[in-house]
Amino acid sequence: MNTPLSPGEALLRQDLSAPEFRCSEIDGRWRHVNTNWPLTVIAVSAPERPRSPLEYGFRFECTGYRQSPVTAQPWDVLNSRPLAPAQWPTGPVMVSAVFRPEWKGSNCLYLPCDRMSIEGHDNWRTVYPSRLWQPERGIICYLEQIHELFHQSDYSGTRSS
Amino acid sequence: MSKPIIFIQVHGRPEIVEAELSEVATIGELYDVLTAVGIEMNSETFVFIDEAEEHQAGERHHPISSFRHGSRIHVCHCKRIRTTVHFLNHTAEREFAPGARVRAVKEWAVEKFKINPKDAAEHVLQLCNSTKRPPSDTRLNELVQLHECSVCFDLVPEKRVEG
Repeated sequence: MNTPLSPGEALLRQDLSAPEFRCSEIDGRWRHVNTNWPLTVIAVSAPERPRSPLEYGFRFECTGYRQSPVTAQPWDVLNSRPLAPAQWPTGPVMVSAVFRPEWKGSNCLYLPCDRMSIEGHDNWRTVYPSRLWQPERGIICYLEQIHELFHQSDYSGTRSS
Repeated sequence: MSKPIIFIQVHGRPEIVEAELSEVATIGELYDVLTAVGIEMNSETFVFIDEAEEHQAGERHHPISSFRHGSRIHVCHCKRIRTTVHFLNHTAEREFAPGARVRAVKEWAVEKFKINPKDAAEHVLQLCNSTKRPPSDTRLNELVQLHECSVCFDLVPEKRVEG
């Protein structure tokens, strides 16, 4: 007999198969790699830069989904392990502020929509209202922020490139 | 072989609807698909495919212009979206097709206001009188309110996350 899905897992699976997620997947903005609740791995596309990949993997921890924000760790999709800091994406101002391997043991991104990073940063709720977690949109709002950083900001490649 | 998937975005509705459409569809077949998913089509409804400048027009048996697997079909009450961008004490206005992306508006505004590439990378479009900063892939048809054919942005600095 199948065990019923928890509400959080059911919502995550619903969001990963929703048109909003799938149309971006078909457009090549991101791709779902695998889900093993409460973890899901998604790769986000990046523009071409010297000696840098065309996508970065992220492992999202989704406990409490969607009311509670997720947290995302840069992930080595091929080897199923955390991405080495030298392989993290960077950029002179905006991207390097978000991808900080020294922050919380390289376990999350320095973004207001991240569950681990928003802790202790109550002022972010007024300073960065457009970057907060949106429970009604779920994981898509987090993916959009990563995609924007790569494609519309100052992304320059990996730290080691 | 399965048919190509299309994603339908209707003026004034937040959700996207997924449907299938034959690879060699006619205008009539496209309208039938739209009607089948509950969209009311009339003489004041215009259908645009992706970022096309012109809406689909012609007889039912006419083939639709090119689309692809994953195309966005915009069902809109406007042929054009009047788009206003404010930057510092300047304002610029231009009309875009409903399927135009926020990215295209920003590129136009950056050129119009003669902003250098470094500064452009640190600015984003924010909807007027709000804190909403739609992603650059967002289509204007997703942003216009029902019964309106205009959208207004402020081009504002993107703050580095810190603190």
